[in-house]
Amino acid sequence: MVIVGAGIVGVSTAYFLKRAGVSVRLVEARAPAAAATGAADGAVSVASKRPGPMMATATAGIRLYRELTAEGVLDGLFFTRSTFLVAVDDAEAEVLATHAAALAASGVSVERLTNERLRALAPSLSADVRAAAEVREEGHAIGYEIVRRLIARAGLAVERGVRVDALVADPRTGRVTGLDTGAGRIEAEAVVIAAGGGSADLLGLSGVLRARRGQLLVTERAPALNAGLPGAIMSARYLLSKASAPGAAPAASARGYGLVIDPLRTGQFLVGGTRENDAARPDTDAEAVAHILRDALRLVPGLASVRLLRTFAGLRTAVVDGLPLVGAVPGRAGLHVATGFEGDGICLGPLMGRSIARLLLGEDPGVDLAPFDPARFREGRAAA
Amino acid sequence: MTDPDLLVIGGGPAGIAAAVRAADAGASVMLVEMRPALGGAFHRRPIEGVEPWPIGREGERRWARLDEGLVRTGIVPRLRTAFLGLDGAGAALLEDRVAGRVEACHPRAIILATGALESVRPRPGWHRPGVVTAGGLQVMMKETGRIPEGRILLAGSGPLLIALAGQLTARGRPPVAVVEAADPFTEMVAGLGLLAHPRHLAEAAVHLGRLALARVPWRRATVLEAITPKGDAFEVRLRDRRGRRTTLEVDHVALHDGIRPNDHGLPAANETPGAGPIVVSAGDGREVLGVVAAEIDGERAADRALALIDGRPEATRDHLRRLARERHAQAVLARVFAPARPLDPLETLPDDTVLCRCEGRTVGDLKVLFTGADTPAGREIKLTGRFAMGLCQGRFCAHWVAEASARLGPDAPAPRPRDLTGDRWPARPVPIAALAAVPDAPKR
Repeated sequence: MVIVGAGIVGVSTAYFLKRAGVSVRLVEARAPAAAATGAADGAVSVASKRPGPMMATATAGIRLYRELTAEGVLDGLFFTRSTFLVAVDDAEAEVLATHAAALAASGVSVERLTNERLRALAPSLSADVRAAAEVREEGHAIGYEIVRRLIARAGLAVERGVRVDALVADPRTGRVTGLDTGAGRIEAEAVVIAAGGGSADLLGLSGVLRARRGQLLVTERAPALNAGLPGAIMSARYLLSKASAPGAAPAASARGYGLVIDPLRTGQFLVGGTRENDAARPDTDAEAVAHILRDALRLVPGLASVRLLRTFAGLRTAVVDGLPLVGAVPGRAGLHVATGFEGDGICLGPLMGRSIARLLLGEDPGVDLAPFDPARFREGRAAA
Repeated sequence: MTDPDLLVIGGGPAGIAAAVRAADAGASVMLVEMRPALGGAFHRRPIEGVEPWPIGREGERRWARLDEGLVRTGIVPRLRTAFLGLDGAGAALLEDRVAGRVEACHPRAIILATGALESVRPRPGWHRPGVVTAGGLQVMMKETGRIPEGRILLAGSGPLLIALAGQLTARGRPPVAVVEAADPFTEMVAGLGLLAHPRHLAEAAVHLGRLALARVPWRRATVLEAITPKGDAFEVRLRDRRGRRTTLEVDHVALHDGIRPNDHGLPAANETPGAGPIVVSAGDGREVLGVVAAEIDGERAADRALALIDGRPEATRDHLRRLARERHAQAVLARVFAPARPLDPLETLPDDTVLCRCEGRTVGDLKVLFTGADTPAGREIKLTGRFAMGLCQGRFCAHWVAEASARLGPDAPAPRPRDLTGDRWPARPVPIAALAAVPDAPKR
């Protein structure tokens, strides 16, 4: 079997296939984690998911991280910690209350915090924060570290710098039998496309996928300030920003701002970010970065004297209806796809990789993939 | 802030020459310098109340001419202002360290005149506090007039070691020894090439004469292998041309293994009008040719930038001819200072030798990345190995990590230092409060 794309989804798929004893080739146009996986915030989190399939799938995604960590596969790479949803004004407090209730209703461990408790837990937070909820048993994992570990564990040799030009299909049955690549033709019993933005052309789904840019920032180490935040701080405004996801209400502007301040184990902070439509390049600009930093300073004033070390951006592949694309491609026997996770790839990647691997092995994927079925775009599309 | 035609980054000879040349041609110019004083490495001006460092009559004359150019054109350099890079929207970001604020500026062209970066090869103990670079020590002396107390050892390779040793000796503080990996005296044939460059020859003769008088040993074909703390001092281990090892006890070690262009984290050259600001580099930041060439190259770069934005004529031929002469001198020096024996590959250093000084990542940490079936590429070495990710952003280690990685993974394409450092802004760490001051841009 051949997997196209060595991001977290493709590598996870290859890992679970190898683990089941299947021989796998993993081809990658650039290098492992070169695109969205290598420019992610690392949230393994349900806190910001919309109620419905994404909330349920994210919960299962976190559970798998826990299992893999217990088995030793992700030992030292996945860390459990809470996410604190915080609000600084009435509008945010209202969103926070509604969202906390929805999380609780879907079985997530979430607790509203009194201001007194919040101050005790998170002394680095500003007194401007007026409402907060703690979402427990969330986690953090760095995408490129997960990818590197799974590659090593599976003993994979990634075929780097191999660009896939086209799918090869049996002219009679339409069954996909391989790939034409820059390194020649590759025969395959089954093909999985997990190529993010590169998936659209291969699948003929250009109207369905789009790139959304997220800008992120990393600070220098600031251990004392870091110790005063017990987990990721997520502004309730982030939930408002996510509401502008494609398929939801049309975004008023091309650029939405959310805010997550994540205290990393190194003593640094990861701060993000934007959600921007129609960005061509994964670059960052001072206007967006300054905007994010002003928001961050309002929640954690002590960041003022900390230095910013790096800025980076990911171009994340999103599906126009806001749900990922996972499963068999209709009308193309032998072809599966797993892409379009936008900002949820790190959380969902291992789970979706395992699901696709199980589908290929003829097993029950173990999660409900129906909402992500590529067949929903069948009408009037080239994929039909 | 009014956007200038030309933004010049760096107030050394190349930057000043470029700024003056462009202003003389009628362009509006902004000259920024990160340090509190102009001059670059060679002409560095002292802080207030300190006598300028003697740089010889020829050097004084060149500085006077640069200074006169600034006065004549009315260019007021912005000191303590760091260039953070070009952002995705094409804005040049300047950190005003006096006001504590970052400004976005939109010049038509940028000249990068950021000078050279000193190379220091990793070896056990090179990261210890108290071990400095020879160039860094020299600049500190020029700025403050002070020489650190105690026994000083200069080690590595290159003419700068001799120059610094000569200057220390002239100040009555000769170094304990100068340890030089090359053996310049055996390179007689190459050395004859210097006869065509009397300026370099005369300078070397002055410094060597001082060292001889003060009986400072010049240990040629000898490498400094390791530095170990010993009380408040260091014990250094030397290996000579016959492989014999000796130790010395000193208070300060100044290392230097040559210089290379400082393009660290800076935008790539852009000579395509319409694709963001024109970016031209000048001086040692483009090609290490020394202080005289820097001025010539600054003028050339200014002409080039103005030709690209305004179609003004360039006086290239004369500049190129004079640069070629300096290039020849540098090539001769490079031959004279070629290592007497091949230097040990970095990956043969003990596993606990630090490569990344900021995050304490070692040779052993790098080797681990190359043990599996899959050979990592440049960016993966950075991310999963955490090399070039600390405060210096790879300034010290990226070059060496790339070199060692190429040998550890010979089947994969050799990583470039730039794959490790990236070229995204900020080129230097910047306080969050300063960056948060960038306003939302008016809609253009």
